[in-house]
Amino acid sequence: MRPEEILCLFPEGIRDRWREVAGQAEDLQEIRLRAGMPTAVWIANRESFVDLQGRIVDRPEKAARSSADELEELLKHLCRYSVYAFADEIRQGFLTVQGGHRAGLSGQVILDQDGRIKNMKYIRYLNIRIAHQVRGAADPVIPRIFEDGHVLSTLLISPPGGGKTTMLRDIIRQVSEGNAYGEGVNVSVVDERSEIAGSYLGVSQNDVGIRTDILDGCPKVEGMMLLIRSMAPRVLAVDEIGSPEDVRALQMASGCGCRLLATIHGGSLEEVRRKNYMRDVIEQGLFERYVILDRKTGVCRITGIYDREGKPCISC
Amino acid sequence: MYKLLGVLCILAGCIGWGSARANQEKDRVRHLRTLFHILGQMRGEISYGRHTLPEICLLLAELNCGCYNSCFLRIYERTGEESGKDFARVWEEEMGDCLARLPLREDEREAVAGLPKTMNFREEDGQSGRIGQAEAFLEGRYRQAEETYENRSKMIRSISILTGLLLIILLL
Repeated sequence: MRPEEILCLFPEGIRDRWREVAGQAEDLQEIRLRAGMPTAVWIANRESFVDLQGRIVDRPEKAARSSADELEELLKHLCRYSVYAFADEIRQGFLTVQGGHRAGLSGQVILDQDGRIKNMKYIRYLNIRIAHQVRGAADPVIPRIFEDGHVLSTLLISPPGGGKTTMLRDIIRQVSEGNAYGEGVNVSVVDERSEIAGSYLGVSQNDVGIRTDILDGCPKVEGMMLLIRSMAPRVLAVDEIGSPEDVRALQMASGCGCRLLATIHGGSLEEVRRKNYMRDVIEQGLFERYVILDRKTGVCRITGIYDREGKPCISC
Repeated sequence: MYKLLGVLCILAGCIGWGSARANQEKDRVRHLRTLFHILGQMRGEISYGRHTLPEICLLLAELNCGCYNSCFLRIYERTGEESGKDFARVWEEEMGDCLARLPLREDEREAVAGLPKTMNFREEDGQSGRIGQAEAFLEGRYRQAEETYENRSKMIRSISILTGLLLIILLL
């Protein structure tokens, strides 16, 4: 990643302060800004701080403190001075910016008459998560999720931060482009939170393959049905299944002949099985492979691959 | 012979000045109409397209010609992601330069050039509503200018001819 990509996240007036941080773009994971609090960055799994001169320091006392005005200006810049255009995303608490990076937002929520989140004001907390596409992240998994030249329906399971979206993105890319185990096929992705493709202004910022169609910002249930009707995918991919409705939509997609690639939060297959809405899915064998991921000492790794019956899949 | 030539020159000069003034009025009407149409296009792109302001500038550059085309294109280019420049400031500079050359009144220029300063709404209804206010202001001015244009242009032309005749009488 180029340092300029990081500098582009900031308005002209404060770019100089971010040059040193941008120089470490390859290892940069997060930039955390809180009004009146020290400016923190996570570089190579380690928290550091940024002082007024833009130097990376270890102690929070030496760090620069962001003002509320600076955060407002940064938000406006991230929204290309068109905050209204990002209202739906702000309502969900995040923005996807150029490069596929995500800015998490927090402030004061405005509720509508039904108690749903209408908008957010006084945004005073920003967490910019730097997207790093890891090409080849799915290499160890690919031989085990292909059979007779076809990809198998696969569920990726991991706790938050376990690398399942990164893995899913690379699987999508390899399935779409084709590899030694199967030819490339049409893949459709429902990217509800713009995390997979990192679409910005409709353009995918991550490489998700040449035969991939992306439906960005659409709820999973509606999105899956829409894509099946409109794009006739061979493989349908979604991130973070989290409700019985999501599962029903997956079952319908499977019934239409689509292979599924999906992710879910969980530490193990047993933990996922304990979720009410997932029990039937696992018993019905909707997914033919379960890939368990974990993050130990800052490194994401595969801890197990299971077949449709939940047996360790060693020989496949 | 020389006197006749002088008379013709004075008359032609005064009529020319009158025509130029009348054309200026006509230009003002034309630019006011263009500007309020542009604001209408912006409002539509915000409400229905939910495009960002730099994107809208690119669309407006494609939809409009003459000085507006180059102005919107420059705003789009200068507010690109790489530059990090403040949109409101760039808009004010570029639009200010563009409008300064047009026969508009100061408050009409200000209504357009200062628009992004007030464009900080978090949802599209508020944002397009704000543009709607500026649009209504310019539309009002346009209707007013259009109504007065016919009479004013006739009056300016008549005055210019009369001035020419007066000058001729005085000089003779």
